Amino acid sequence: MLSIGTTRRAQRGMLREWRLHALSVFSLAVAFVCLGAALLVVTNLRAVEDRWAHAGRVSVYLKDSISTPDVEALKSALTATAGVKSVRYISSGQARQDFAQTEKKNLAGLSQEAFPSSIEVEVQPDMADAELTEMVTKLEKLPGVDEIETYQAWTDRLARLVRGGVAASGILALVVFASVLAVVGSTIRLALQRRRTEVEVLKLVGATDRFIKGPFLVEGSAQGAMGAMGALALLATLFFLVKGRLDGELSSLIGVEPSFLPWPIALGMVGVGAVLGALAALLGLRRLVAV
Amino acid sequence: MPRFDDQDDAQESRAFRPLLRQGPRFARDAAARPILMFEDVYKSYRPGAPVLRGMNLVIERGEFVFITGPSGSGKSTLLRLLYRSETVDEGRILFMGRDIARLKDDSVPFLRRNIGVIFQDFKLVKTWSVFENVAITLEVLGLPQRLIKARVGEALERVGLAGRGSDAAGVLSGGEQQRVAVARAIVGEPALILADEPTGNLDPQLAIDILGLFEEIHESGTTVLFATHDRSLLDVRSRRLIVLDEGKAMDVAMGIAPAEEGYDNELPL
Ligand SMILES: Nc1ncnc2c1ncn2[C@@H]1O[C@H](COP(=O)(O)OP(=O)(O)OP(=O)(O)O)[C@@H](O)[C@H]1O
Ligand SMILES: [Mg+2]
Repeated sequence: MLSIGTTRRAQRGMLREWRLHALSVFSLAVAFVCLGAALLVVTNLRAVEDRWAHAGRVSVYLKDSISTPDVEALKSALTATAGVKSVRYISSGQARQDFAQTEKKNLAGLSQEAFPSSIEVEVQPDMADAELTEMVTKLEKLPGVDEIETYQAWTDRLARLVRGGVAASGILALVVFASVLAVVGSTIRLALQRRRTEVEVLKLVGATDRFIKGPFLVEGSAQGAMGAMGALALLATLFFLVKGRLDGELSSLIGVEPSFLPWPIALGMVGVGAVLGALAALLGLRRLVAV
Repeated sequence: MPRFDDQDDAQESRAFRPLLRQGPRFARDAAARPILMFEDVYKSYRPGAPVLRGMNLVIERGEFVFITGPSGSGKSTLLRLLYRSETVDEGRILFMGRDIARLKDDSVPFLRRNIGVIFQDFKLVKTWSVFENVAITLEVLGLPQRLIKARVGEALERVGLAGRGSDAAGVLSGGEQQRVAVARAIVGEPALILADEPTGNLDPQLAIDILGLFEEIHESGTTVLFATHDRSLLDVRSRRLIVLDEGKAMDVAMGIAPAEEGYDNELPL
Protein backbone atom coordinates (compact mmCIF):
# COMPACT_ATOMS: atom_id res chain seq x y z
CA MET A 1 0.00 0.00 0.00
CA LEU A 2 1.19 3.51 -0.74
CA SER A 3 1.36 5.68 2.32
CA ILE A 4 1.78 9.43 2.37
CA GLY A 5 5.22 8.79 3.76
CA THR A 6 6.21 6.73 0.73
CA THR A 7 5.25 9.39 -1.78
CA ARG A 8 6.83 12.07 0.35
CA ARG A 9 10.07 10.13 0.54
CA ALA A 10 9.92 9.46 -3.20
CA GLN A 11 9.42 13.15 -3.86
CA ARG A 12 12.35 14.00 -1.62
CA GLY A 13 14.51 11.47 -3.45
CA MET A 14 13.55 12.78 -6.86
CA LEU A 15 14.12 16.41 -5.94
CA ARG A 16 17.52 15.67 -4.44
CA GLU A 17 18.58 13.65 -7.48
CA TRP A 18 16.60 15.58 -10.07
CA ARG A 19 19.37 15.55 -12.67
CA LEU A 20 19.52 11.77 -12.61
CA HIS A 21 15.75 11.51 -12.90
CA ALA A 22 15.48 14.14 -15.62
CA LEU A 23 18.03 12.29 -17.72
CA SER A 24 16.08 9.08 -17.32
CA VAL A 25 12.79 10.76 -18.21
CA PHE A 26 14.39 12.31 -21.29
CA SER A 27 15.73 8.97 -22.56
CA LEU A 28 12.35 7.38 -22.01
CA ALA A 29 10.60 10.24 -23.82
CA VAL A 30 12.78 9.64 -26.89
CA ALA A 31 11.74 6.00 -26.95
CA PHE A 32 8.10 6.85 -26.39
CA VAL A 33 8.15 9.44 -29.21
CA CYS A 34 9.00 6.66 -31.68
CA LEU A 35 6.20 4.48 -30.40
CA GLY A 36 3.76 7.38 -30.25
CA ALA A 37 4.58 8.42 -33.82
CA ALA A 38 4.01 4.89 -35.09
CA LEU A 39 0.72 4.68 -33.22
CA LEU A 40 -0.28 8.07 -34.62
CA VAL A 41 0.30 6.85 -38.18
CA VAL A 42 -1.54 3.61 -37.51
CA THR A 43 -4.60 5.24 -35.97
CA ASN A 44 -4.90 7.66 -38.85
CA LEU A 45 -4.42 4.96 -41.47
CA ARG A 46 -7.15 3.03 -39.66
CA ALA A 47 -9.46 5.99 -39.96
CA VAL A 48 -8.76 6.22 -43.69
CA GLU A 49 -9.33 2.51 -44.07
CA ASP A 50 -12.62 2.77 -42.22
CA ARG A 51 -13.66 5.65 -44.35
CA TRP A 52 -13.01 3.73 -47.56
CA ALA A 53 -14.23 0.37 -46.34
CA HIS A 54 -17.58 2.07 -46.00
CA ALA A 55 -17.21 4.03 -49.17
CA GLY A 56 -20.74 2.86 -50.00
CA ARG A 57 -20.03 3.37 -53.66
CA VAL A 58 -19.92 1.14 -56.67
CA SER A 59 -19.09 2.43 -60.12
CA VAL A 60 -20.55 0.37 -62.97
CA TYR A 61 -18.68 1.25 -66.15
CA LEU A 62 -20.70 0.67 -69.29
CA LYS A 63 -19.68 -0.42 -72.74
CA ASP A 64 -19.83 2.23 -75.42
CA SER A 65 -22.18 0.00 -77.33
CA ILE A 66 -24.93 -0.01 -74.72
CA SER A 67 -28.27 1.41 -75.77
CA THR A 68 -30.26 3.97 -73.84
CA PRO A 69 -33.19 1.58 -73.06
CA ASP A 70 -30.67 -0.93 -71.68
CA VAL A 71 -29.22 1.77 -69.46
CA GLU A 72 -32.69 2.67 -68.22
CA ALA A 73 -33.49 -1.02 -67.56
CA LEU A 74 -30.24 -1.42 -65.64
CA LYS A 75 -30.97 1.70 -63.60
CA SER A 76 -34.42 0.56 -62.55
CA ALA A 77 -33.16 -2.94 -61.79
CA LEU A 78 -30.44 -1.49 -59.56
CA THR A 79 -32.85 0.90 -57.85
CA ALA A 80 -35.03 -2.08 -56.97
CA THR A 81 -32.11 -4.01 -55.46
CA ALA A 82 -32.07 -4.20 -51.66
CA GLY A 83 -29.39 -2.06 -50.04
CA VAL A 84 -29.10 0.41 -52.88
CA LYS A 85 -29.64 4.02 -51.85
CA SER A 86 -29.42 5.85 -55.13
CA VAL A 87 -28.46 5.36 -58.73
CA ARG A 88 -27.06 8.01 -61.04
CA TYR A 89 -26.15 7.76 -64.70
CA ILE A 90 -23.08 9.64 -65.82
CA SER A 91 -22.61 9.95 -69.52
CA SER A 92 -19.22 9.91 -71.14
CA GLY A 93 -19.37 13.64 -71.86
CA GLN A 94 -20.34 14.42 -68.28
CA ALA A 95 -17.49 12.34 -66.91
CA ARG A 96 -15.08 14.23 -69.09
CA GLN A 97 -16.47 17.55 -67.91
CA ASP A 98 -16.33 16.52 -64.24
CA PHE A 99 -12.75 15.51 -64.60
CA ALA A 100 -11.87 18.72 -66.37
CA GLN A 101 -13.49 20.70 -63.58
CA THR A 102 -11.79 19.01 -60.68
CA GLU A 103 -8.39 18.76 -62.28
CA LYS A 104 -8.51 22.11 -64.12
CA LYS A 105 -6.63 20.67 -67.05
CA ASN A 106 -6.78 21.04 -70.76
CA LEU A 107 -8.33 17.88 -72.10
CA ALA A 108 -7.67 18.45 -75.75
CA GLY A 109 -5.23 15.57 -75.85
CA LEU A 110 -7.49 13.08 -74.13
CA SER A 111 -9.78 10.97 -76.24
CA GLN A 112 -13.43 10.38 -75.57
CA GLU A 113 -12.75 6.67 -74.82
CA ALA A 114 -10.83 7.62 -71.71
CA PHE A 115 -14.15 8.55 -70.12
CA PRO A 116 -16.61 5.69 -70.35
CA SER A 117 -20.18 6.31 -69.26
CA SER A 118 -21.07 4.80 -65.93
CA ILE A 119 -23.74 4.25 -63.36
CA GLU A 120 -22.74 5.42 -59.92
CA VAL A 121 -24.48 3.30 -57.33
CA GLU A 122 -24.63 4.47 -53.76
CA VAL A 123 -25.22 1.58 -51.38
CA GLN A 124 -26.07 1.51 -47.69
CA PRO A 125 -22.81 1.79 -45.73
CA ASP A 126 -23.83 -1.18 -43.61
CA MET A 127 -24.41 -3.46 -46.59
CA ALA A 128 -22.79 -6.82 -45.95
CA ASP A 129 -19.74 -7.74 -48.03
CA ALA A 130 -21.44 -10.92 -49.26
CA GLU A 131 -24.45 -9.00 -50.56
CA LEU A 132 -22.21 -6.54 -52.32
CA THR A 133 -20.21 -9.34 -53.95
CA GLU A 134 -23.42 -11.03 -55.04
CA MET A 135 -24.65 -7.84 -56.65
CA VAL A 136 -21.32 -7.34 -58.37
CA THR A 137 -21.25 -10.86 -59.84
CA LYS A 138 -24.78 -10.45 -61.14
CA LEU A 139 -23.93 -7.12 -62.72
CA GLU A 140 -20.78 -8.46 -64.34
CA LYS A 141 -22.81 -10.98 -66.31
CA LEU A 142 -24.91 -8.33 -67.96
CA PRO A 143 -23.99 -7.67 -71.58
CA GLY A 144 -23.78 -3.88 -71.41
CA VAL A 145 -21.49 -3.81 -68.39
CA ASP A 146 -17.80 -3.36 -69.00
CA GLU A 147 -16.19 -3.20 -65.59
CA ILE A 148 -17.16 -2.73 -61.97
CA GLU A 149 -15.16 -0.74 -59.43
CA THR A 150 -15.97 -1.41 -55.79
CA TYR A 151 -12.82 0.32 -54.51
CA GLN A 152 -12.01 -2.99 -52.82
CA ALA A 153 -8.44 -3.09 -54.09
CA TRP A 154 -7.79 0.35 -52.63
CA THR A 155 -9.19 -0.71 -49.25
CA ASP A 156 -7.19 -3.93 -49.39
CA ARG A 157 -4.01 -1.98 -49.98
CA LEU A 158 -4.84 0.31 -47.09
CA ALA A 159 -5.57 -2.66 -44.86
CA ARG A 160 -2.17 -4.12 -45.70
CA LEU A 161 -0.57 -0.80 -44.88
CA VAL A 162 -2.38 -0.68 -41.55
CA ARG A 163 -1.31 -4.24 -40.75
CA GLY A 164 2.27 -3.30 -41.50
CA GLY A 165 1.96 -0.25 -39.29
CA VAL A 166 0.52 -2.32 -36.47
CA ALA A 167 3.40 -4.80 -36.75
CA ALA A 168 5.93 -1.95 -36.75
CA SER A 169 4.24 -0.43 -33.70
CA GLY A 170 4.37 -3.79 -31.99
CA ILE A 171 8.10 -4.06 -32.55
CA LEU A 172 8.58 -0.45 -31.43
CA ALA A 173 6.50 -1.17 -28.34
CA LEU A 174 8.85 -4.03 -27.47
CA VAL A 175 11.84 -1.75 -27.97
CA VAL A 176 10.20 0.85 -25.73
CA PHE A 177 9.39 -1.75 -23.05
CA ALA A 178 12.97 -2.94 -23.11
CA SER A 179 14.30 0.60 -22.89
CA VAL A 180 12.01 1.46 -19.97
CA LEU A 181 13.21 -1.62 -18.13
CA ALA A 182 16.85 -0.86 -18.88
CA VAL A 183 16.79 2.90 -18.28
CA VAL A 184 14.62 2.91 -15.18
CA GLY A 185 16.33 -0.18 -13.82
CA SER A 186 19.78 1.35 -14.03
CA THR A 187 18.63 4.76 -12.82
CA ILE A 188 17.08 3.18 -9.77
CA ARG A 189 20.15 1.08 -9.12
CA LEU A 190 22.23 4.24 -9.30
CA ALA A 191 19.83 6.07 -6.99
CA LEU A 192 20.04 3.14 -4.59
CA GLN A 193 23.81 3.31 -4.73
CA ARG A 194 23.75 7.02 -3.93
CA ARG A 195 21.32 6.47 -1.09
CA ARG A 196 23.27 3.58 0.37
CA THR A 197 23.57 5.15 3.81
CA GLU A 198 19.88 5.97 3.77
CA VAL A 199 18.98 2.35 3.04
CA GLU A 200 21.43 1.14 5.65
CA VAL A 201 19.91 3.48 8.24
CA LEU A 202 16.40 2.40 7.32
CA LYS A 203 17.33 -1.25 7.79
CA LEU A 204 18.95 -0.50 11.12
CA VAL A 205 15.91 1.21 12.55
CA GLY A 206 13.74 -1.73 11.51
CA ALA A 207 12.21 -0.73 8.21
CA THR A 208 10.70 -3.61 6.26
CA ASP A 209 11.91 -4.18 2.72
CA ARG A 210 8.52 -2.97 1.54
CA PHE A 211 8.99 0.31 3.35
CA ILE A 212 12.45 0.73 1.86
CA LYS A 213 11.48 -0.21 -1.68
CA GLY A 214 8.24 1.82 -1.76
CA PRO A 215 9.72 5.21 -2.71
CA PHE A 216 12.00 3.66 -5.34
CA LEU A 217 9.00 2.01 -6.97
CA VAL A 218 7.14 5.31 -6.95
CA GLU A 219 10.18 7.00 -8.50
CA GLY A 220 10.50 4.36 -11.22
CA SER A 221 6.82 4.57 -11.93
CA ALA A 222 6.91 8.36 -12.10
CA GLN A 223 9.85 8.23 -14.50
CA GLY A 224 7.99 5.88 -16.83
CA ALA A 225 4.82 7.93 -16.75
CA MET A 226 6.66 11.23 -17.17
CA GLY A 227 8.65 9.84 -20.10
CA ALA A 228 5.42 8.88 -21.85
CA MET A 229 3.79 12.21 -21.03
CA GLY A 230 6.78 14.15 -22.30
CA ALA A 231 6.69 12.18 -25.54
CA LEU A 232 2.96 12.82 -25.95
CA ALA A 233 3.41 16.53 -25.37
CA LEU A 234 6.18 16.70 -27.97
CA LEU A 235 4.20 14.67 -30.50
CA ALA A 236 1.07 16.74 -29.97
CA THR A 237 2.99 19.95 -30.53
CA LEU A 238 4.54 18.62 -33.74
CA PHE A 239 1.26 17.14 -34.90
CA PHE A 240 -0.76 20.32 -34.55
CA LEU A 241 2.02 22.42 -36.08
CA VAL A 242 2.16 20.18 -39.16
CA LYS A 243 -1.59 19.91 -39.36
CA GLY A 244 -1.97 23.66 -39.24
CA ARG A 245 0.43 23.99 -42.19
CA LEU A 246 -1.25 21.39 -44.36
CA ASP A 247 -4.73 22.45 -43.39
CA GLY A 248 -7.44 21.23 -45.76
CA GLU A 249 -5.21 19.78 -48.45
CA LEU A 250 -4.40 16.54 -46.72
CA SER A 251 -7.89 15.87 -45.46
CA SER A 252 -9.48 16.46 -48.86
CA LEU A 253 -6.95 14.10 -50.39
CA ILE A 254 -7.60 11.17 -48.08
CA GLY A 255 -11.18 11.97 -47.17
CA VAL A 256 -10.60 12.11 -43.40
CA GLU A 257 -9.38 14.76 -41.04
CA PRO A 258 -6.07 13.60 -39.45
CA SER A 259 -6.54 13.24 -35.72
CA PHE A 260 -4.15 12.99 -32.76
CA LEU A 261 -3.87 9.81 -30.69
CA PRO A 262 -7.21 9.04 -29.07
CA TRP A 263 -7.41 9.41 -25.29
CA PRO A 264 -7.41 5.69 -24.46
CA ILE A 265 -4.17 5.16 -26.38
CA ALA A 266 -2.49 8.23 -24.90
CA LEU A 267 -3.55 7.22 -21.39
CA GLY A 268 -2.51 3.67 -22.15
CA MET A 269 1.00 4.82 -23.03
CA VAL A 270 1.27 6.73 -19.76
CA GLY A 271 -0.14 3.75 -17.85
CA VAL A 272 2.25 1.32 -19.50
CA GLY A 273 5.11 3.71 -18.70
CA ALA A 274 4.07 3.84 -15.04
CA VAL A 275 3.63 0.10 -14.65
CA LEU A 276 6.83 -0.79 -16.48
CA GLY A 277 8.74 1.85 -14.52
CA ALA A 278 7.61 0.31 -11.24
CA LEU A 279 8.44 -3.16 -12.53
CA ALA A 280 11.89 -2.02 -13.63
CA ALA A 281 12.51 -0.49 -10.22
CA LEU A 282 11.40 -3.69 -8.53
CA LEU A 283 13.80 -5.71 -10.68
CA GLY A 284 16.60 -3.22 -10.04
CA LEU A 285 16.06 -3.51 -6.28
CA ARG A 286 16.14 -7.27 -6.03
CA ARG A 287 19.20 -7.10 -3.86
CA LEU A 288 19.16 -4.40 -1.24
CA VAL A 289 22.23 -3.45 0.68
CA ALA A 290 22.78 -6.10 3.31
CA VAL A 291 23.01 -4.74 6.85
CA MET B 1 7.47 2.81 27.50
CA PRO B 2 8.94 0.55 24.84
CA ARG B 3 6.81 0.07 21.82
CA PHE B 4 6.86 -3.52 20.66
CA ASP B 5 4.00 -3.42 18.26
CA ASP B 6 4.69 -1.60 15.11
CA GLN B 7 1.71 0.34 13.96
CA ASP B 8 1.71 -0.43 10.28
CA ASP B 9 2.21 -4.17 10.46
CA ALA B 10 0.58 -4.84 13.79
CA GLN B 11 -1.48 -7.76 12.57
CA GLU B 12 1.37 -9.51 10.80
CA SER B 13 2.13 -12.73 12.56
CA ARG B 14 5.76 -12.73 11.56
CA ALA B 15 6.41 -9.69 13.72
CA PHE B 16 9.02 -10.13 16.38
CA ARG B 17 7.03 -10.73 19.55
CA PRO B 18 9.10 -10.60 22.69
CA LEU B 19 7.72 -12.65 25.53
CA LEU B 20 8.15 -9.68 27.77
CA ARG B 21 5.46 -7.22 26.92
CA GLN B 22 4.01 -4.12 28.45
CA GLY B 23 0.36 -3.71 29.21
CA PRO B 24 -2.30 -6.14 30.38
CA ARG B 25 -0.54 -9.21 29.04
CA PHE B 26 2.62 -8.40 30.96
CA ALA B 27 4.35 -11.70 31.60
CA ARG B 28 5.79 -11.62 35.12
CA ASP B 29 8.07 -14.60 34.66
CA ALA B 30 9.52 -13.03 31.52
CA ALA B 31 10.27 -9.89 33.51
CA ALA B 32 12.25 -11.92 35.97
CA ARG B 33 14.34 -13.46 33.19
CA PRO B 34 17.49 -11.81 31.91
CA ILE B 35 16.97 -9.52 28.93
CA LEU B 36 19.82 -11.17 27.06
CA MET B 37 21.41 -14.62 27.16
CA PHE B 38 24.15 -16.03 24.98
CA GLU B 39 24.29 -19.83 25.18
CA ASP B 40 27.29 -21.56 23.64
CA VAL B 41 27.47 -19.19 20.70
CA TYR B 42 29.84 -20.04 17.87
CA LYS B 43 30.55 -17.70 15.03
CA SER B 44 33.19 -17.69 12.32
CA TYR B 45 33.39 -15.74 9.08
CA ARG B 46 35.94 -18.06 7.54
CA PRO B 47 36.39 -21.77 8.23
CA GLY B 48 39.20 -22.38 10.65
CA ALA B 49 39.12 -18.84 12.08
CA PRO B 50 36.35 -18.78 14.65
CA VAL B 51 35.61 -15.42 16.27
CA LEU B 52 33.26 -16.63 19.01
CA ARG B 53 33.88 -20.10 20.43
CA GLY B 54 31.20 -21.29 22.78
CA MET B 55 30.53 -17.90 24.27
CA ASN B 56 28.21 -17.66 27.25
CA LEU B 57 26.91 -14.42 28.69
CA VAL B 58 23.92 -13.28 30.71
CA ILE B 59 22.80 -9.67 30.88
CA GLU B 60 20.04 -8.57 33.21
CA ARG B 61 17.45 -5.94 32.51
CA GLY B 62 18.65 -2.43 33.13
CA GLU B 63 22.36 -3.26 33.21
CA PHE B 64 25.08 -1.03 31.80
CA VAL B 65 27.78 -3.29 30.41
CA PHE B 66 31.10 -2.41 28.85
CA ILE B 67 32.38 -4.90 26.32
CA THR B 68 36.05 -4.73 25.64
CA GLY B 69 38.86 -6.87 24.30
CA PRO B 70 41.68 -6.70 21.80
CA SER B 71 41.10 -5.61 18.25
CA GLY B 72 39.59 -8.47 16.28
CA SER B 73 38.33 -10.23 19.41
CA GLY B 74 34.75 -10.03 18.17
CA LYS B 75 33.16 -7.06 19.94
CA SER B 76 31.52 -5.79 16.76
CA THR B 77 30.62 -9.34 15.81
CA LEU B 78 28.83 -9.86 19.11
CA LEU B 79 26.75 -6.73 18.56
CA ARG B 80 26.03 -7.64 14.93
CA LEU B 81 24.67 -10.98 16.06
CA LEU B 82 22.32 -9.08 18.36
CA TYR B 83 20.78 -6.84 15.72
CA ARG B 84 20.91 -9.75 13.31
CA SER B 85 23.25 -8.31 10.77
CA GLU B 86 25.04 -11.63 11.21
CA THR B 87 23.73 -15.01 12.25
CA VAL B 88 25.26 -17.46 14.70
CA ASP B 89 26.73 -20.73 13.50
CA GLU B 90 25.71 -22.57 16.63
CA GLY B 91 24.12 -21.79 19.96
CA ARG B 92 21.28 -19.54 21.06
CA ILE B 93 20.89 -15.85 21.75
CA LEU B 94 17.79 -15.17 23.79
CA PHE B 95 16.58 -11.59 23.70
CA MET B 96 13.49 -11.00 25.83
CA GLY B 97 12.83 -14.71 25.74
CA ARG B 98 13.02 -15.11 21.97
CA ASP B 99 15.87 -16.82 20.15
CA ILE B 100 17.31 -14.24 17.79
CA ALA B 101 19.36 -16.88 16.01
CA ARG B 102 16.19 -18.67 14.88
CA LEU B 103 14.36 -15.53 13.80
CA LYS B 104 13.15 -15.60 10.22
CA ASP B 105 14.51 -12.84 7.97
CA ASP B 106 11.04 -11.30 7.74
CA SER B 107 11.03 -10.76 11.50
CA VAL B 108 14.40 -9.02 11.66
CA PRO B 109 12.95 -5.50 11.18
CA PHE B 110 10.66 -6.09 14.14
CA LEU B 111 13.59 -7.21 16.27
CA ARG B 112 15.47 -4.07 15.32
CA ARG B 113 12.62 -1.86 16.45
CA ASN B 114 13.42 -3.06 19.96
CA ILE B 115 17.11 -2.26 19.68
CA GLY B 116 18.88 1.06 19.22
CA VAL B 117 22.30 0.88 17.58
CA ILE B 118 25.06 3.50 17.58
CA PHE B 119 28.27 3.32 15.58
CA GLN B 120 31.70 4.85 15.57
CA ASP B 121 31.00 6.49 12.19
CA PHE B 122 27.55 7.79 13.28
CA LYS B 123 25.82 6.47 10.14
CA LEU B 124 23.72 9.58 9.61
CA VAL B 125 22.20 10.56 6.28
CA LYS B 126 24.18 13.74 5.77
CA THR B 127 21.72 15.33 3.34
CA TRP B 128 18.85 14.94 5.76
CA SER B 129 18.14 17.39 8.52
CA VAL B 130 18.83 16.48 12.12
CA PHE B 131 15.10 16.13 12.63
CA GLU B 132 14.70 13.77 9.68
CA ASN B 133 17.58 11.60 10.85
CA VAL B 134 15.94 11.09 14.21
CA ALA B 135 12.35 10.93 12.94
CA ILE B 136 13.07 8.02 10.63
CA THR B 137 12.98 5.61 13.57
CA LEU B 138 9.38 6.59 14.25
CA GLU B 139 8.35 6.94 10.60
CA VAL B 140 9.22 3.30 10.13
CA LEU B 141 6.70 2.53 12.87
CA GLY B 142 4.06 4.53 11.02
CA LEU B 143 3.41 6.95 13.86
CA PRO B 144 1.41 10.09 13.02
CA GLN B 145 3.50 13.16 12.18
CA ARG B 146 2.24 15.12 15.16
CA LEU B 147 3.48 12.48 17.58
CA ILE B 148 6.76 12.10 15.70
CA LYS B 149 7.38 15.83 16.00
CA ALA B 150 6.81 15.81 19.73
CA ARG B 151 8.93 12.75 20.43
CA VAL B 152 11.82 13.80 18.18
CA GLY B 153 11.79 17.16 19.95
CA GLU B 154 12.07 15.40 23.31
CA ALA B 155 14.87 13.13 22.11
CA LEU B 156 16.87 16.05 20.71
CA GLU B 157 16.46 17.81 24.01
CA ARG B 158 17.74 14.77 25.88
CA VAL B 159 20.93 14.71 23.81
CA GLY B 160 21.39 18.47 24.13
CA LEU B 161 20.49 19.39 20.57
CA ALA B 162 17.22 21.20 21.19
CA GLY B 163 16.58 23.71 18.43
CA ARG B 164 19.03 22.13 15.97
CA GLY B 165 16.40 20.03 14.21
CA SER B 166 16.42 21.94 10.95
CA ASP B 167 20.23 21.88 10.48
CA ALA B 168 21.62 19.50 7.88
CA ALA B 169 23.18 16.56 9.69
CA GLY B 170 26.34 16.83 7.57
CA VAL B 171 27.29 20.27 8.88
CA LEU B 172 27.36 19.27 12.55
CA SER B 173 30.58 18.58 14.44
CA GLY B 174 31.54 14.97 15.18
CA GLY B 175 30.31 15.16 18.75
CA GLU B 176 27.01 16.67 17.64
CA GLN B 177 26.59 14.07 14.93
CA GLN B 178 27.06 11.32 17.48
CA ARG B 179 24.40 12.97 19.64
CA VAL B 180 22.02 12.87 16.69
CA ALA B 181 22.79 9.16 16.28
CA VAL B 182 22.08 8.65 19.98
CA ALA B 183 18.80 10.53 19.64
CA ARG B 184 17.85 8.31 16.71
CA ALA B 185 18.62 5.23 18.77
CA ILE B 186 16.64 6.28 21.83
CA VAL B 187 13.66 8.04 20.27
CA GLY B 188 11.85 4.73 19.77
CA GLU B 189 12.47 3.90 23.46
CA PRO B 190 14.03 0.53 22.76
CA ALA B 191 14.67 -2.01 25.50
CA LEU B 192 18.30 -2.38 24.50
CA ILE B 193 20.93 0.06 23.27
CA LEU B 194 24.01 -1.24 21.46
CA ALA B 195 26.97 1.06 21.00
CA ASP B 196 29.97 -0.02 18.91
CA GLU B 197 32.91 2.23 19.76
CA PRO B 198 30.60 5.25 19.82
CA THR B 199 33.41 7.51 20.98
CA GLY B 200 36.07 6.15 18.64
CA ASN B 201 36.01 9.23 16.41
CA LEU B 202 35.77 11.78 19.19
CA ASP B 203 38.40 13.52 21.29
CA PRO B 204 38.72 12.42 24.94
CA GLN B 205 36.59 15.16 26.50
CA LEU B 206 33.79 14.64 23.93
CA ALA B 207 34.06 10.91 24.53
CA ILE B 208 33.38 11.40 28.22
CA ASP B 209 30.43 13.69 27.41
CA ILE B 210 28.93 11.04 25.16
CA LEU B 211 29.50 8.38 27.81
CA GLY B 212 27.59 10.61 30.22
CA LEU B 213 24.75 10.65 27.73
CA PHE B 214 24.66 6.86 27.70
CA GLU B 215 24.63 6.83 31.47
CA GLU B 216 21.62 9.12 31.51
CA ILE B 217 19.86 6.81 29.08
CA HIS B 218 20.77 3.88 31.30
CA GLU B 219 19.37 5.66 34.34
CA SER B 220 15.98 5.86 32.63
CA GLY B 221 15.95 2.04 32.68
CA THR B 222 17.38 1.05 29.32
CA THR B 223 19.87 -1.79 29.07
CA VAL B 224 23.10 -0.57 27.46
CA LEU B 225 25.87 -2.60 25.82
CA PHE B 226 28.84 -0.36 25.19
CA ALA B 227 31.72 -1.83 23.18
CA THR B 228 34.98 0.07 23.45
CA HIS B 229 38.69 -0.42 23.85
CA ASP B 230 39.19 3.05 25.27
CA ARG B 231 40.61 2.36 28.73
CA SER B 232 40.05 5.91 29.90
CA LEU B 233 36.30 5.42 29.51
CA LEU B 234 36.37 2.16 31.46
CA ASP B 235 38.01 3.97 34.33
CA VAL B 236 35.43 6.75 34.55
CA ARG B 237 33.03 4.77 36.67
CA SER B 238 32.83 1.23 37.94
CA ARG B 239 30.65 -0.78 35.68
CA ARG B 240 30.22 -4.37 34.76
CA LEU B 241 32.97 -5.16 32.30
CA ILE B 242 32.97 -8.05 29.86
CA VAL B 243 36.23 -8.92 28.20
CA LEU B 244 36.14 -10.84 24.95
CA ASP B 245 39.14 -13.00 24.40
CA GLU B 246 39.82 -16.28 22.66
CA GLY B 247 36.22 -16.33 21.50
CA LYS B 248 34.78 -16.32 25.01
CA ALA B 249 33.34 -13.68 27.31
CA MET B 250 34.80 -13.10 30.76
CA ASP B 251 33.30 -10.99 33.49
CA VAL B 252 35.83 -8.66 35.03
CA ALA B 253 34.86 -6.72 38.10
CA MET B 254 35.89 -3.11 38.23
CA GLY B 255 36.37 -0.60 40.93
CA ILE B 256 36.83 -3.35 43.47
CA ALA B 257 40.25 -4.20 44.78
CA PRO B 258 41.23 -6.91 42.33
CA ALA B 259 43.65 -8.94 44.44
CA GLU B 260 41.23 -9.61 47.29
CA GLU B 261 38.41 -10.60 44.99
CA GLY B 262 40.66 -12.90 43.06
CA TYR B 263 39.93 -11.33 39.68
CA ASP B 264 42.50 -10.97 37.02
CA ASN B 265 42.14 -7.30 36.43
CA GLU B 266 44.89 -7.05 33.87
CA LEU B 267 42.93 -6.22 30.75
CA PRO B 268 44.28 -7.97 27.70
CA LEU B 269 44.22 -4.78 25.66
N1 LIG C 1 32.44 -9.59 7.39
C1 LIG C 1 33.55 -10.23 7.77
N2 LIG C 1 34.13 -11.14 6.97
C2 LIG C 1 35.24 -11.79 7.35
N3 LIG C 1 35.83 -11.62 8.51
C3 LIG C 1 35.32 -10.72 9.37
C4 LIG C 1 34.13 -9.99 9.04
N4 LIG C 1 33.84 -9.19 10.07
C5 LIG C 1 34.78 -9.41 11.00
N5 LIG C 1 35.66 -10.34 10.60
C6 LIG C 1 36.79 -10.84 11.36
O1 LIG C 1 36.30 -11.29 12.59
C7 LIG C 1 37.16 -10.93 13.64
C8 LIG C 1 36.40 -10.12 14.67
O2 LIG C 1 36.04 -8.89 14.11
P1 LIG C 1 35.27 -7.78 14.92
O3 LIG C 1 35.01 -6.65 14.01
O4 LIG C 1 34.12 -8.38 15.60
O5 LIG C 1 36.36 -7.38 16.00
P2 LIG C 1 36.36 -6.19 17.04
O6 LIG C 1 36.56 -6.79 18.38
O7 LIG C 1 35.16 -5.35 16.86
O8 LIG C 1 37.65 -5.41 16.62
P3 LIG C 1 37.94 -3.83 16.71
O9 LIG C 1 38.26 -3.55 18.13
O10 LIG C 1 39.12 -3.65 15.85
O11 LIG C 1 36.73 -3.13 16.22
C9 LIG C 1 38.30 -10.17 13.01
O12 LIG C 1 39.38 -11.06 12.88
C10 LIG C 1 37.78 -9.76 11.67
O13 LIG C 1 38.82 -9.77 10.73
MG1 LIG D 1 34.77 -3.40 16.16
